[in-house]
Amino acid sequence: MSAPLLEVNNLKVSFKMFAGEVQAVRGVSFTLDKGEVLAIVGESGCGKSVTAQTIMRLTPTPPSFIKDGSIIFDGKTDVTKLSEKQMMKIRGQEMGMIFQDPMTSLNPTMTVGAQIAEGIRKHEKLSKSAAMRRAVELLTLVGISNPGERINQYPHEMSGGMRQRVMIAIALACHPKLLIADEPTTALDVTIQAQIMDVMRDIQEKTGTAIILITHDLGVVAEMAQRVIVMYAGKVVEQGDLNDIFYKSQHPYTWGLLSSVPRLDSDKKAALASIPGTPPDLFAPPKGCAFAARCPYAMKICQEQDPEHLPVSGPTHTAACWLMHPDAPKVERPVAAGGGVTHV
Amino acid sequence: MLKYTLRRFFYMLVTLWVIITLTFFLMKLLPGNPFGESAAKLTPENLQILREQYGLDKPVWQQYLKYMGNVLQGDLGISYQYPTRSVVSVIQHSFKASLELGLESLIFAIVIGLALGTYAALRHNKAGDYTAMLIAIVGISVPSFVIGPLLSYFVGVKWGILPPGLWTGPEHRVLPALALSFGTIAILARMMRASMLDVANQDYIKTAKSKGLTSGAIINSHMLRNAILPVITILGPIAVNVVTGTLVVEIIFAVPGLGSQFVSSIVSNDYTMITGLTLFYAAILIIVLFITDIAYGLVDPRIRLGKGR
Repeated sequence: MSAPLLEVNNLKVSFKMFAGEVQAVRGVSFTLDKGEVLAIVGESGCGKSVTAQTIMRLTPTPPSFIKDGSIIFDGKTDVTKLSEKQMMKIRGQEMGMIFQDPMTSLNPTMTVGAQIAEGIRKHEKLSKSAAMRRAVELLTLVGISNPGERINQYPHEMSGGMRQRVMIAIALACHPKLLIADEPTTALDVTIQAQIMDVMRDIQEKTGTAIILITHDLGVVAEMAQRVIVMYAGKVVEQGDLNDIFYKSQHPYTWGLLSSVPRLDSDKKAALASIPGTPPDLFAPPKGCAFAARCPYAMKICQEQDPEHLPVSGPTHTAACWLMHPDAPKVERPVAAGGGVTHV
Repeated sequence: MLKYTLRRFFYMLVTLWVIITLTFFLMKLLPGNPFGESAAKLTPENLQILREQYGLDKPVWQQYLKYMGNVLQGDLGISYQYPTRSVVSVIQHSFKASLELGLESLIFAIVIGLALGTYAALRHNKAGDYTAMLIAIVGISVPSFVIGPLLSYFVGVKWGILPPGLWTGPEHRVLPALALSFGTIAILARMMRASMLDVANQDYIKTAKSKGLTSGAIINSHMLRNAILPVITILGPIAVNVVTGTLVVEIIFAVPGLGSQFVSSIVSNDYTMITGLTLFYAAILIIVLFITDIAYGLVDPRIRLGKGR
């Protein structure tokens, strides 16, 4: 593979609040190849969405600001250094984004056709009718029947699943190289989730767009992603290929996430597994490993020093955990393949 | 939509009937009588003749039935104050000026108010925002009977830019309309600002931004229309307020309108005039609210379609 499509280096994003600075993203680095599907997983508030929105520079500034780091897009442009005007050329054209809640992400007073055509007309200088024809094609692509009629409808005339399809059509309108899907299925019910994931996978195969998929649903990850990043408290704690994360994960937080997935064959009377405690306050992040307070294997050093990323297996699988250190006691990985707990 | 409209129309008539009835009976509770100070000079016989002439000697319920019968025929009765003029002719004669003044100030208020509010929202928490909101607070807290004379004195008398009063040419319209619109400008500006700020935080604005649209395009095609919706809702009552609230301003600028007629009719117990004008204003209020509903439907497709096309 040539140069990666996206290279995020030591990205730090903070929000200036009245009471102080919230360090939402605290040094995130990862790369994304062309046509690759990368999942970012983690609990709510761990910085997934902020990372993704910062790539498109969509977080409101102020209060948010990029404290450090770079985001190299397509081998040349550093997104963090671009002016708002230059960003407008990239947004929609080079990168598209799908948001969490399709019920509120479309303008209620505009027909969906106009909302799809808008971006096309801006970037490709097409006539209104040509852009509308393209909107019809896009709606067909995302699996909406009767697209010719649907383009003249308003969002409230559509179901949540259809609106999310429209959002996908909007994001894809100008054939972007990168599609960022910020929890695209969270607000939908399960059967619709599957349909939307099918649409996304289908489109990924047809167009070869690279996708960053942000989710806390590991099922969705298993279905789509080639590579996974696990984030916790604004940092990447483990990253690797899909199989590395699901079968060979090394970070206790990843274990916790995997064992929290409910299973159909579990004892109905047993409580669902969860990770006890809550993520740290990012107003004042802890000095050592942010997960130490909730980690059943925490050692003294975990409280004092933040672990570096250490290679696990293969060049791309790394984890930031002191348990990986040669001097650390050996801990048996308590998670079975597929997410089940072998022992508690 | 037709069924909905018809039902609304029926409710409108019921509301009007309730208003007439209430006003009619409440008015009878007012102290004094319509013949004013001259009543003291009249002999009891003459007074009795007058009362008979106006039907005031009959029981109240009979007067009510007679009045309702007349109203249904479009006859609001003869004024007690000016025995030569019917209430309908007074309305016809005076309302034109009030309506014109009201509409002009409404236009001022909408244009200036919405522009000011939009500007403030786009400059959120910056100097422009604070300035615009300062103007709005002054507009709300200073009543038109203070602003009116100030405008009349400074702009009209001292600097002589515009005529300080009367109602003859178009240049006479500006000051009273401005004085009357001040409070409304402030209300609309504040409302528009809040609404714009609310819309700016909506997810679909982020979607629009993610398409790479310029901020101008986002404001024009995504923000303004959505932000104006809640403002339209209050536009109806505000329009009525402005059109009927011309009273003080009419007196300050010597505008020959309906507001001054209303006050003098209450002072002099002019029964027919009070009921007639109340009925008239109530009708305007209800009709404007009705129009607002329809306008709202035109802007918001969810309402338009919700009621069935």
